[in-house]
Parts: sequence; C-alpha cells; structure tokens
Amino acid sequence: MAAQLRLTRRDLKAMALSLPGALFLLFFLFLPLVTIVIYSFWRSENYTMIADWNLDNYITLLTTRTYLTFIFRSLVMSLSVSFICLVYSWPVAYFIARYGGRYRLILVLLTAAPFFTGIILRVTAMQQILGPIGVLNMFLTNMGLAPLKLLMYTNYATALGLVYLWIPFMVLAIYLSLLTFDFKLLDAAMINGAGPLRAFIEVTWPLNWIGTCIGLALVFIPTFAATITPKFLGGVNGALYGNILAHQFGATGTWALGSAMGVVLFAISSLFVYIIFKTVNLNRAGYTGKLDGE
Amino acid sequence: MQTSAHALELVEVEKQFGPVRAVDNVSFSVEKGEFFALLGPSGSGKTTLLRIIAGLESAGKGSVHIGGRDVTRKPPYARGIGMVFQDFLLFPHKTVGENISFPLKMKKMPAARQKEQLDWVLELVRMKGFEDRFPNQLSGGQKQRVALARGLVARPDILLLDEPLANLDRELRKEMEVEMRRFQAEIDIPFVYVTHNQEEALTLSNRVAVMKDGRFEQVGDKLELYEAPATAFVASFLGLNNTIVGQVTAQEGGLSTIDWKGIRLPVPTPEGVGVGDSVQYYLRSEKMHIGPLEDTPEGADATRLAARLRDIIFKGQYSDYFVIVENGEEMVISDVPDIKGITIGDQVAVSWLPEDGFAFAAKGDR
Ligand SMILES: Nc1ncnc2c1ncn2[C@@H]1O[C@H](COP(=O)(O)OP(=O)(O)O)[C@@H](O)[C@H]1O
Ligand SMILES: [Mg+2]
Repeated sequence: MAAQLRLTRRDLKAMALSLPGALFLLFFLFLPLVTIVIYSFWRSENYTMIADWNLDNYITLLTTRTYLTFIFRSLVMSLSVSFICLVYSWPVAYFIARYGGRYRLILVLLTAAPFFTGIILRVTAMQQILGPIGVLNMFLTNMGLAPLKLLMYTNYATALGLVYLWIPFMVLAIYLSLLTFDFKLLDAAMINGAGPLRAFIEVTWPLNWIGTCIGLALVFIPTFAATITPKFLGGVNGALYGNILAHQFGATGTWALGSAMGVVLFAISSLFVYIIFKTVNLNRAGYTGKLDGE
Repeated sequence: MQTSAHALELVEVEKQFGPVRAVDNVSFSVEKGEFFALLGPSGSGKTTLLRIIAGLESAGKGSVHIGGRDVTRKPPYARGIGMVFQDFLLFPHKTVGENISFPLKMKKMPAARQKEQLDWVLELVRMKGFEDRFPNQLSGGQKQRVALARGLVARPDILLLDEPLANLDRELRKEMEVEMRRFQAEIDIPFVYVTHNQEEALTLSNRVAVMKDGRFEQVGDKLELYEAPATAFVASFLGLNNTIVGQVTAQEGGLSTIDWKGIRLPVPTPEGVGVGDSVQYYLRSEKMHIGPLEDTPEGADATRLAARLRDIIFKGQYSDYFVIVENGEEMVISDVPDIKGITIGDQVAVSWLPEDGFAFAAKGDR
C-alpha cells in the first residue's frame, strides 16, 4: 500500500504542470459557481444575504410569468442569433479557407478587427448607425422616406448588434475546422456523381460539424447572457434575461434571486452545449483515431 | 465519325498553369477493354492530364471524348468516369459500404440494386465482411481495395488511376499489381493508369504512353516501346541502362565508331549523324554479358571490353554486376548469377552486340 502511494518524479512533474490549469478552474469557474449556487438557496434582505436555506428563488423564477417570458425571449434571441451567424459565417469561412491562399490569416484577423475597439465602442457604433438619429435613419429621412422603425430600440436591432458582435467567433471556429479539412475529398465526391451542393451536404458539412458546434456554442452562450447590447440597442422595451439578471444585483439588491437566475442561465447554456454535442458522433465527424476494441 | 469507336479520345489537349505548360498538345485514344499506362517522371503532367479527362481541371484547348460523346464542357459528375486517387480519398466519416455505394447513391439507384452491386464489387476486391468498418480501421492495402471498389461499383465507362500503388509498400504493391490485372480482365472496363514506375507500367498495361514535360514522347505497344524506343528519353527511361556519350570518329556501313572517353565503340548510326557529331548510346544491362577475361564465347560482331568487377548485387534469377572499364567509367550488367566463379576484384570481360543498344544524336550538339 505504502509503495503504491509513493509518487515518482514523473507524477510530481505532471502534477506541477497541471497546477496552473487546475488553479484557473478552481478560482474562476468552480468557486464562483459554488458561491452562486449557495447564494441561490439563501434569502436577501436589505442588501444583505441571509443563510436561510430555501427554494423560494427558484419557485419565484419558474412560476412568475415575467421571468419565464424573459427566459423565452432570450432563448429565441440566442437561437436566432446563432442561426444567422451560422448561415452568414459558413460562406465567409469557406471562402477564406479555400481561396484565401497566403492571405488567409490576414483575412481571418480582419473579421475580428472590430474586436480591437472593445465591446462598448462597437455597440455604440451600431447605435450610431441604427438609432433614431443614426446614419441609416438620417439617410432615409433626408431622402424623404420614413425612418426604419423596425431597427429603432427593438429586439431586431439587438439581434443585428449581437450578430455583428459574435460573427467573428463563428467564422473563426468554422475556419479552423476547414483548415484541417481535405478539400480533395470534394474531387472524390464530384467524380463519383455528386454535384457541388450534394458534395457539400455529403462531405463538407458532416466533416466540419464539430467546428460548427463550437461556433454555435461560442455565439449562443454570450448571447444568452447579453446585457450591454440589448441595453444600448433594444432600449427600455427590449430588455432580455441578462438585463433582468443584472438588475437584481443593482437597484433591487435581490442578490439571492439574482444568483438563482445565474444558475438557471448556466444550466440553460450547459443544456444547449450538451444537446449540440450529443449530435456529434466521432466516427461520423471523420475522427481519425483508432477506436476502442480494434 | 471515327471518334465513336474509341472508349476515350483526347484531341490536341493543352493546359497552361502560369508559365508552366503542364499538358502540351496531347492526342491519343484508348479502346474498350484496354489497359493503358501513362508513364513519366514526376512533374511531367500525368496528374493534370488525368484530371482533365476527369473534368476536375478544364482543358485550355482541345477536346475530350468518352465513348464518342464530347464531354469537354461537362462537369466531372456528368462524365460517367471512375477514379482512384493516389491518397485514396476515402470519405473518413462513411463506412466501407457507404463509401463504395456512394456513386450508386448519387445515381439514385434503388436500394436492392445498390446492395447487389455492392456485393458484386466487394466480392471482386475480396473485401466481404468489411462493410461496416470505417476507413481508419483499415490497412493501406484494404483502403486501396475500397478505393478501387468505389471506382468500379457504378461500372463506369472508363477508370482512371493516379499512381494507385505509390503509397503501398513493396510486397503489397506486387500483390496489388496482380489483383489490378485480374479486376481489369474480369470487368472489361478500360483502365488509364498513371505511374512513374516503368516496371509497373510494363507489367500491367497493354499500351504505354511515355510523357515528358507535358508532351507524349512515344505511344505504343509496351514491347514496341521497350524494343524500339523512338527518343533518347524513352530509351533512357525504360529498363536499366548504361548511358554512353561519345563523338563519332568514323562511319562504315550502318555503324559509327564513337570515342567514349578514350574507348572506341561501334554503335548503330542514328539518322542524320556524321563524323564529329556527338551520340548518346543506351545499353540495357540485360542485353550484356559478363565472363572471365580469358573466355571468348561471343560472336565476331560483339563488342568486348576488359573491366574490373567492383560489386555484385544478387537479385534472385539474375545478378547486377558493377564493373569499372578501362576509361574509369562504371557499367552495370545483368546476367545469370554465379558466372564461372568470378568474384569481386577480378578482371572480367563484358560484351554486347552493337545493335542491341539504342543510339541517338545528342541534343544541342554543334
Ligand atoms: N494547380 C496547379 N497550379 C499550378 N501548377 C500546377 C498545378 N498542377 C500542376 N502544376 C504543374 O504542372 C506540372 C505537371 O504537374 P502534374 O500533372 O502534377 O505532374 P505529375 O503528375 O506527372 O507529377 C508541374 O510542373 C506542376 O508544378
Ligand atoms: Mg502526379
């Protein structure tokens, strides 16, 4: 027994190397999560937390119409934004990966260029374009046309802003996947009777499904938690789940309820990621390692 | 139309990649049931030519006809061609069965017929029982068989093969060469087989085209190419050769005497070559003989040189003898092993008949 417990130098080295990662997970994921989970079962009163274990926060959340509406709204928003990003990013990533040649890296970095300015600036820029006195509507009114009401402080404006914000992630995820994709497989498909669309459906899409899933997760998660974009572009009536959540930690001081909302947010995002990756069958995604039992 | 008779016909096909003329004015035809080999060194344009036939590359000029139909403007999926790629290009996310049935599925063949065809081709390539495996669970030789099966399953009008054995090890290559001939004989589909390996081309095919710098050097029956090469390149590319370069010092009858770094040799006179011109002379190692210096077994016409035996490489039915002749040059002779007890370091005699070698006017002389 004692002999089995003795650590070799190699074990120690491996442990030392895993330490930064483990600490990161501990301090930035595990501890905050545990704290929030604990708080979500407490009660807040006059801006203080009271350790009085109960399920009231969850009951409130899941039975109050308003909260459910916000969950639903954010869900629809996240799914739509993910879908739009997906449809838009595929051709962009495909073009860069296949025809970008030696400019590939520059082109990909360009799609991420707006990120260099920070989120607030980007969203403000969108506001400048879409808002009532924004470039778009000024142009329309100057032309003697009616301003586009659809894009003035509405969820559509928020969706547009979020798509603009997260598209680079989706492009990058699909692009990285396509980098390892052997485009010559399309020659094999075409020779064997597949037209371009059929070849895409039969070969390109399934072999890049994992990368696409990563892109979907990278867009869905921040969209579901979005606060700044809906605040700036959605206006008063365009609030989403993230805004309500932030509200609990601000004006109302209902931290316990806010924590429960955070847990629900985490759960929904996790569920989405779980469902998406359930669709991945490593064999069907062209995973090239040997399988067990072979 | 005379085109309708050919399984495949190319007319004056050309392809330019920037400054490189990858295919340069190539015309040829392949008949039904023929095993046609395209032989050439790396970069000679073999793959490009095959891709033009397949429709994966557009021809800059000229036309491609399959079974009498002009398919020059047709996309690959409308040409009815099968193709086997050098790196197999199996779909990694599809099983062996799905990979092979892919062309049938694209044709929307009824499931029962698909099954029938699949069974037939699995039997042909001896891969029964592997239907449900994925490509990464196969050995190189098995992948090769699956690639062949996928190319053949829809019974294409023609099968194109781009160096299909180049990625296999030597043993497997020998085995697959035999298989390849068997498939082709059994199904009677013409094969156009690209290779840079002369042995493969000569073993497998009926007819061979030798390609160089995008052009056909010679097309013909493989024996004809081997026994009567039309150009110096073809002569040098086929067989194991001794290359001898020298200047003509005298001419008599059909023979010229050349001066090869101090050794005078008779060679057949190439067309248009006179005294003072330089000549390239290719001598196949298997046409030469080696023996102890004191022996004089050969006829009066034979050329005979004294030499020192440097090395013997035993090849089974024959051996390669490496000798140094009197001007210090090395020659290689393939002869029966164990000749009259000659050993490394011995003085030997090498001999051949002048007309067994091929002489050409050297390029760029005078
Ligand atoms: N897509 C391409 N772009 C530019 N040059 C090419 C391309 N494909 C082939 N080449 C050039 O054409 C020539 C013939 O190539 P290839 O057909 O691949 O020869 P082989 O198959 O006989 O080795 C080479 O010089 C090669 O560099
Ligand atoms: Mg090639």
